[in-house]
Amino acid sequence: MTTDTMNTEPAVDETAQMRLWHRVSQFLFREARLLDEWRLREWYDEMLTDDIRYLVPATDVRGEPADALGLIDDNAARLRQRIEQILNGEVWCENPRSRTNRMISNVEIVADRGTHLDVAANVVVYRFGHGRSDCYVGKFRLELAVEGESFRVRRRLVVLDHESLYEHGKLSIIL
Amino acid sequence: MTIELQRPVDGQIVFDDPENLSFRVDRRAYTDDDVAAQEITKIFDRCWLYVGHESEVPELGSYVSRDVGGRPVVMARGSDGVIRVLANSCPHRGALICSQSTGQARSFRCPYHDWTFSNQGDLVGVPLPDGYGPGFRKSDFGLARHRSDSYRGFVFATFDPEQPLTLTEHLAGATEYLDLIADQSEVGMEVIQGAQLHGARANWKLMMENSVDIYHFRALHKRYVSYIESLGTMAPRRRGGFARALGRGHGANELVPAAARPLAYWTPMFPPEVRSRMEATAARFVERFGAERAQRITGANRALMIFPNLMIIDAIGITIRKIDPVSAGQMSITSVALAPQDEDPDIRELRKSHYLTFLGPAGFATPDDIEIIESCQRGYLNRTLRHSDLSRGMAKEVPETTDELPAREFWRQWDRLMHDDDREEGHHLTRRAERQGGQRR
Repeated sequence: MTTDTMNTEPAVDETAQMRLWHRVSQFLFREARLLDEWRLREWYDEMLTDDIRYLVPATDVRGEPADALGLIDDNAARLRQRIEQILNGEVWCENPRSRTNRMISNVEIVADRGTHLDVAANVVVYRFGHGRSDCYVGKFRLELAVEGESFRVRRRLVVLDHESLYEHGKLSIIL
Repeated sequence: MTIELQRPVDGQIVFDDPENLSFRVDRRAYTDDDVAAQEITKIFDRCWLYVGHESEVPELGSYVSRDVGGRPVVMARGSDGVIRVLANSCPHRGALICSQSTGQARSFRCPYHDWTFSNQGDLVGVPLPDGYGPGFRKSDFGLARHRSDSYRGFVFATFDPEQPLTLTEHLAGATEYLDLIADQSEVGMEVIQGAQLHGARANWKLMMENSVDIYHFRALHKRYVSYIESLGTMAPRRRGGFARALGRGHGANELVPAAARPLAYWTPMFPPEVRSRMEATAARFVERFGAERAQRITGANRALMIFPNLMIIDAIGITIRKIDPVSAGQMSITSVALAPQDEDPDIRELRKSHYLTFLGPAGFATPDDIEIIESCQRGYLNRTLRHSDLSRGMAKEVPETTDELPAREFWRQWDRLMHDDDREEGHHLTRRAERQGGQRR
C-alpha cells in the first residue's frame, strides 16, 4: 500500500496543492455523475486510460493479497463488455435500469508522482430498482494519470467494507 | 414482503407421475414458513452437510469458522493432525468460542469466562475451578464434536447421531464426479483465498435447481455467450452430454465445454503461449488415466449437485457453492474456487480472471441467475398458479443436460426425507428406469 504522507517539499505553494485537490475532486464528482446518468460509454472513452484495470476484491480478504480471488478484475476490453451488456439491456437486473446515487468524500491525494497521482476517497453508492434498495460502501484507491489539466483513471480499486454481499445478492452496476 | 397463503402444508407437495410423464412441485415448497422450518429438522438436522475443504486448514492448528446447516461450527486441524468439526459454542454458557473466520491456534478461549479449549476440542482451562463441586470434570465439558468425515478432501458433517449412512454411502453415485474433480491434480486441490459471499431473496432450493439446469443457459446467459464468442470461442448450440441421477438426491450434468478450461482445454479465449503447455498437460492425463477418463477429466464440463445444499461446478473454473436457507424466501451463498495446488502461476491467473467473467455476484452470468430466481420467488405471489413443472426429459431413455432429471432426483429425496420414509430401502428401488437414465453410452 502507499504511504500516508504527501510527497511534497516544504516550499511547494499551498494554493497549487489546493488547486490540484480541487481538480481531482471535480474529476471524481464528474465520474460519479456520468455513472449515475448511465453515460457509461462517455465515462469509458473520456475518463479511463487504455490500460485501465478495475478491481473489486472479495469481501472476506483484507489488504490486497495478490493470489486471492476477487469479485471483479476487468481490463479495458472486459470493462467495455460490461458496459455494453448493461447498456444493451442484456443484464436483467439492470433492465429497467436502477437509479443510483454515488457520494464521493474524503478525497485525498496520497502521493503526487508527477506523471500520476495516487488518490484515496470514500464512496457510498445507493442503488434503487426492482423493488430493492441497496447500499454499497467502499474505499476508492485510484491511480490517476495526469493529462495536462485533467486526468484519466489507470487503476480503479474499490474495496468494499461489507462483510458479505448477503443483502445485495449481486453487484450489477459499476461502483 | 408477506405471503398470505397459510393453508397448512399437510398435503402432497411433490407430484411425481411417471406414467403420465408429469412432475410438478407445489410452489408452497418455496414460500411456506412451515415447510422451511420442517426442512431444518428433517433435512439439515439429519443429512451429511458440506463443511469445507481440507486445504482450508492446511497446518496443525489451522481452523475456519462458519455456519453449517444454520449452526456455527469450527473446522479445525488439531495439533494431532486430525480435522474435526466442533460446535462453535461454549459448553458453559454458549458464547462463540471462535469469532475469527479463519486462523491458526493451539487453543480457543471463550471470551465470556476464559474457559479454554485445545484445538482438538478438549476443555483445558477453567478460571477459579474451586467454585465447582468435586464431581466437576473437565472431560464432561469439551466442545461438542460433530460426526464428520471427508471424501477426497471434501469435509462433511452430520448433526444426527443416529444417521445410519456413512459419508460414502450418502454420497452414492456422486463419488464418481468428486473423483473427476479431485483427480485434476496429482498433489491435491486447494481452495483459493477470497470467497464470494452473497445471497438471494429467494428460496434456497431455487438456487440448487438453477445450478444444475443447463436448459436456461442460452436463454438467460445470452450476454455471457456473446462475451465468450467475442473472444473467439463459439459455444456449441446443442451442448449434448448427459444428465444423471446419482441416488440419495444427488445429480449431475456433464457436457462439452462452452468455453476454455484452465486445466487442459485450450480455446482462443486463452493466450496462444499457454496452448502447448495445456496440450502437454492433457497428454499427461491420458498417460495417467487412459484416453477415455482423461478426456472426461480435462475435456468436459460438469455440474454436480450434492443433496441437500452443495453444488460443485467444474467449467471455466471450479466453484464450490454452499447454499444455505435463512428463511423461506432468503438464502445465503458462499462460493469459493478450487484449483490444482501445483498449477503454474500464469495459468492460475488465467483461471481466476476467467472465473470472474462467469461466476460470482459481479460476473457476467451469476447476477442474472440471482435476479431470475428472485423473480421466480416474486412470481409465486400469484397463487393462482399452484405448481412448477419439472418434467423435461421424463420421456427419454437417455436424458440430456437440458432435461430436468437431476432436479427430479433432488425433489424425490426431499420428499422422502420430509415424510421420514427415506430409511425404507424400497424407495431407492422405485423408478429404477429413470434413476439410471443417462448412463453413459
